[in-house]
Amino acid sequence: MEQPEKTGHLSVDRGRCEGYGMCEQAAPELLHLDEDDVPVIDVAGISPTQKPLAEAAVRACPVAALSVRTASAPA
Amino acid sequence: MPSPVNSPRSDADIFSEEVMADPYPVYRALRDAGPVVYLEHSDVFAVARYEEARRVLGDWEAFSSADVALNEQFNHYIGDGILRADPPLHDQLRGVLSARLAPRALRDLAPDITRRAELLVDRLVAKGSFDAVTDLARWFPVEVVGDLIGLPHEGRERLLPLLDANFNCFGPDNARTQASFPRLPELAEYVMAGATRAALTEGSMGRAVYDAVDAGEIPEAVAPWLVMTYVTAGMDTTVHAIGHTVWLMAQHPDQWDALRAAPSLVPQAFREVVRYESSVQVFGRTARVDWSVGDVTVPAGARLAVLYGSANRDERKWADADRFDITRDNLDHLGFGYGLHGCAGQALARLEGEAILRALLRSVSHIEAGEPVRHFNNILRGLDSLPVTVITD
Repeated sequence: MEQPEKTGHLSVDRGRCEGYGMCEQAAPELLHLDEDDVPVIDVAGISPTQKPLAEAAVRACPVAALSVRTASAPA
Repeated sequence: MPSPVNSPRSDADIFSEEVMADPYPVYRALRDAGPVVYLEHSDVFAVARYEEARRVLGDWEAFSSADVALNEQFNHYIGDGILRADPPLHDQLRGVLSARLAPRALRDLAPDITRRAELLVDRLVAKGSFDAVTDLARWFPVEVVGDLIGLPHEGRERLLPLLDANFNCFGPDNARTQASFPRLPELAEYVMAGATRAALTEGSMGRAVYDAVDAGEIPEAVAPWLVMTYVTAGMDTTVHAIGHTVWLMAQHPDQWDALRAAPSLVPQAFREVVRYESSVQVFGRTARVDWSVGDVTVPAGARLAVLYGSANRDERKWADADRFDITRDNLDHLGFGYGLHGCAGQALARLEGEAILRALLRSVSHIEAGEPVRHFNNILRGLDSLPVTVITD
């Protein structure tokens, strides 16, 4: 079976993240918090079906520390 | 200020008591008029819709907070304060706050805040009738946050009116702002002379500011102003949120019943309070570059008034936006702002609000509210009084 195409990946700005954990509440399927409350991304990339979830996690971050980076626009 | 080229205009004075008594119809009209609307009365562009408010708050490089107040005099007074600062200074100051205010730093505080909430609530519930603002909401954050900052007890009772005046000064140059400026020296005196390094409790958040000076993390000159930030930002905002919590639960007994049936909804319920009746209604920004949004181009240099309270009721974003619903998906409300200058104390505010809700849930089956008295502030939305009678199980 063909692998679904990845639309990008989730990226955490560790300098901005203050550990509110909203991203985990929004998308527990894609990430979890480590012992310092910093999100650890559990997926290598975001499939088209995961995209709404990833965007919800990005929106939920109160300090804009999480973003979706597309393959064509590296950090 | 650059002239508005092709923006829709409005003559509404969003800082008048007439509008503030019920701002939501005016907010809706502003949202419907366009993505930005020039307010003739205040010489500022209102950003009333959710997506645009989020865009402005989320991009400090395109939208400066140097004009966070809607008048020059107070922006000058704030100087290099954290609200106006850009990185890297902002990040140095924010780091000192977040080291103590991030959720991980607050974990150990939850039991004490819970105990204090239960003591206060139980005493009031035993009385049966009380004022949810003057007997409950105004006590709790001042005591809790006052102790956390390490403030001396002396003079705390004078703080709330002074903090209210401080918030007024973020408004446009109106009568409320002018009446409030003369109160600022008394607040400065309390912080600069009363909350000195020596007077702040050892181990407190306030003392940690001076520890950061000793560690070379921040310049000494900014320390008293960072203590001032703790004092000015952390009290009356939460007072109003707790007042709204009781008011909304009294108005919506079905929501209170739903919360009693599922106490795990407490965090979501408190978020819904902050979405539905946001304590902070407006803060200013300035476009650093031309901003094209929809059919409108906002010229570089233009002042913006970001309307948090309107964004949180935007029907483009929220289904049935004017319905108070503790079960709705509300993670991304803008009641605490967003992005670089998003509220640094939001985890503590939640801890306080949730503690009060849980304390009430332990025994109160129904809240009956009398007529609330509205409080008027240029920036804040809240109540001056809310007589309630609580029915216990």
